[in-house]
Amino acid sequence: MDQIHPQPLIEVKELSKSFNDRVVLNRVNLKLFKGQIVAIIGKSGVGKSVLLKHIIGLLEPDAGEVLFQGMPVARMKAREKEHYLGKISYMFQNNALFNSLTVHDNVAMPLRYQRRAERKAIDAKVMQRLEQMELGDAAGKYPGELSGGMQKRVALARALITEPDIVLFDEPTTGQDPIRKNAILGMIAAYQHKFNFSAILISHDLPDIFFISDIILALYDGKIIFDGTPEAFEHFEHPFRTEFIQSLELLQQELTGLYSRRQFKVRYQMDLFRNPRESGYALLIFNLEELPRVAEQLGPTALQELIAVMSAYISKHFNEVGGFSTRYGSTQFVTILPLANADEAGRLVALLAKDLTRNGLSRLACAESAARGGHRSASITITAGIAEGKSQTPLNLVIEAARLKQQPLVRFNVKCREN
Amino acid sequence: MKKYASETWVGLFMTIGLICVGYMAIELGHVSLFGGDSYPLKARFSAISELHAGSPVTMMGIDIGQVTGVSLDQKDHQAVVQFRVRDGIEIYSDAIASIKTQGLIGEKYLDIDAGGAGDQLKPGGTITDTIPPVDLTDLIGKYAFGSVGGNK
Amino acid sequence: MEESVTQLSESSGRRGLFSEFFGAIGRAGWRGIDHFGAAGIFFIQSLAMIFRRQQLKSIVQQISFIGAQTMGIIALVALFTGMVIGLQLYYTLIKFGAVSAIGSAIGLSLVRELGPVLTAIMITARAGSAMTAEIGIQRISEQIDALITMRINPLAYLISPRVAAAVISFPLLTALFDLIGIAGGYLSSTIVTGVNTGAYFYRLKASLAWIDVMGGFTKALVFAVLVVTICCYNGFYAHMRKEGRGARGVSLATTAAVVQSCVCILISDYLITSFFL
Repeated sequence: MDQIHPQPLIEVKELSKSFNDRVVLNRVNLKLFKGQIVAIIGKSGVGKSVLLKHIIGLLEPDAGEVLFQGMPVARMKAREKEHYLGKISYMFQNNALFNSLTVHDNVAMPLRYQRRAERKAIDAKVMQRLEQMELGDAAGKYPGELSGGMQKRVALARALITEPDIVLFDEPTTGQDPIRKNAILGMIAAYQHKFNFSAILISHDLPDIFFISDIILALYDGKIIFDGTPEAFEHFEHPFRTEFIQSLELLQQELTGLYSRRQFKVRYQMDLFRNPRESGYALLIFNLEELPRVAEQLGPTALQELIAVMSAYISKHFNEVGGFSTRYGSTQFVTILPLANADEAGRLVALLAKDLTRNGLSRLACAESAARGGHRSASITITAGIAEGKSQTPLNLVIEAARLKQQPLVRFNVKCREN
Repeated sequence: MKKYASETWVGLFMTIGLICVGYMAIELGHVSLFGGDSYPLKARFSAISELHAGSPVTMMGIDIGQVTGVSLDQKDHQAVVQFRVRDGIEIYSDAIASIKTQGLIGEKYLDIDAGGAGDQLKPGGTITDTIPPVDLTDLIGKYAFGSVGGNK
Repeated sequence: MEESVTQLSESSGRRGLFSEFFGAIGRAGWRGIDHFGAAGIFFIQSLAMIFRRQQLKSIVQQISFIGAQTMGIIALVALFTGMVIGLQLYYTLIKFGAVSAIGSAIGLSLVRELGPVLTAIMITARAGSAMTAEIGIQRISEQIDALITMRINPLAYLISPRVAAAVISFPLLTALFDLIGIAGGYLSSTIVTGVNTGAYFYRLKASLAWIDVMGGFTKALVFAVLVVTICCYNGFYAHMRKEGRGARGVSLATTAAVVQSCVCILISDYLITSFFL
């Protein structure tokens, strides 16, 4: 990594900060390379927001420094600072929207006071962005008239309107319902892909955050106790982990009927090693194809609903026969059916396919832009793959085998809900 | 609606406020909008008591102008009062200027008797025939010690 | 021996109390000077940024709030102030047979002192406190930080329009107060108690000079600067209060702003009257 990007975009070096003798950050290090998303996790009150505020220069460190392309932020001259702030955007935890301005004016703010762009051009750009975020109807309203979730999206729209190089997200998903949470994280990932910005993100929402971030930093007691990839975090053992993550995983399971990846592995170990003699099992993998196109046509919320409905179908069909499932990527699901062979699994998959074609995944909440573009429905393909596994074979290999055997299962239309 | 109302209110407020300020400056502060509607005159007194810039100038009890300044002429041992009188009020060289008091303890003001014989005074002209103010303390003293009319 | 020890400790204890007492006064004094200087810089920076682009709309909005919406309460207070002075003067002056002087007394007291001072105090109560609270809330909800990250100068965006609006609104409202107060005095003294109407206005006009009117407006301008600076400064730094943060900080800031504004209005009124008028 370091060889490809010799200089990090942002580097935090040995940063310490105390408020009234209370040490909030203790020699914290962080590196953000171009195109990366770094996620900072930790319990509330451990100084995650304080770290972000140091990066954008709202707070000055007691010791250590923040470097932007090698230049210390605290010692920047006015003009350099101006240039730096132009490249970076901050989405505040409490949204920090202006109550006396409409949603449209709030989002237009960063543009209006900077560039000498034409008012018309700014308005058009703002409207376009609002529609992408399903806020078209709210443009003329005041932030106080909106729900917490909508306010959050307005704040997100404002942070992204300048097309910044770096975006700092301070809990972008807090206070959202689960569907919207995923929608926002999905949106961040999508925009990150589209505009190629780099981001530092504070979030509590595991495991979804794993799908979109490249590096995870865990902040505990003012110190960084973990710095590595999401995969490495799966194996990271620390009292903090159990304390912090378990509650979130339970929530996740309740919402979708699926296990988190970690719980999935634990269950896998338990079920298959308990009776090693009859340790054969069938592994199913499902993939929702062409999802980016669906997201573009129907909007990010519809996409997340689709995933949630699909989760529900999978739990409904396999949980009663002793199966357990997890999301294995943003669009993939893995199910394990203990004590089953490929034929049995195939029959169950056929039943699922029948159910899907009969009942479909209809009535999704689509974006307003979708309706205007004439998209009231989209076609979608689900592929499935089946492999048999034994307790001795590593899980990864079985999954790989199933992935190779994937074949289209069903193809059907998803429809938008009538408003 | 909100926008429209706020701007209308501001317009209304500014109009009312400026009218009030204008009224106060012109009517109560005695500011003349046009410098040309009055002309300057001078008057020499042996004493002027408390007459000062801003004191009214009257003729037969009617306001006709304002004192603009007072100064000392040490060569002739006289006090010089500069004042302005509205255009159209004719004052002649035999005019008499006297300093009077409003009521018993009120403000001093300059009263002009226009005269009639002689030439009309030009702007900047001087009234020489003047009556200094009556000193109330003097008057009371004289009365108390019987010197008023006691010289018979 | 023992006695001397106790004496020593007692005297040192007393000295400690003294030094603590004067130390506290000294620290408070330094803090006061510190805030005074900071508020001065705060005002001058805001003043300098009034004439930037895109300020007109916000200035109009602020005039609407500070000026236009305060007209009603100013009119009401002025009317009753004028009326009560009219009555009181009548009862006092009638003892000396000088009822005709009522016009000049009302005119002078309103234009020189009561007009500017009461107007400033009413604006502080109505608009000043709201200013502090609003800016304070914007501070604690991170809106001011958001402005900085959006490269919008918070002083230019939040404070400058208010400074401009206050400097415009205070003299206008003072003029309104003076005239309505005079009308109130006219009502109570001529209609209620029967003073000669002609005498009221004649005496009023005769006794007022340019310097009185100018002095009144000068005071209004000075009060505008004081009130807007104190109220905005307290709100802007509501998060720095030692006694309490968050919502409590905002409420403390609002109280402090109103008290400081009123005290400064009265002290500066005395200073202006005694030194310049």
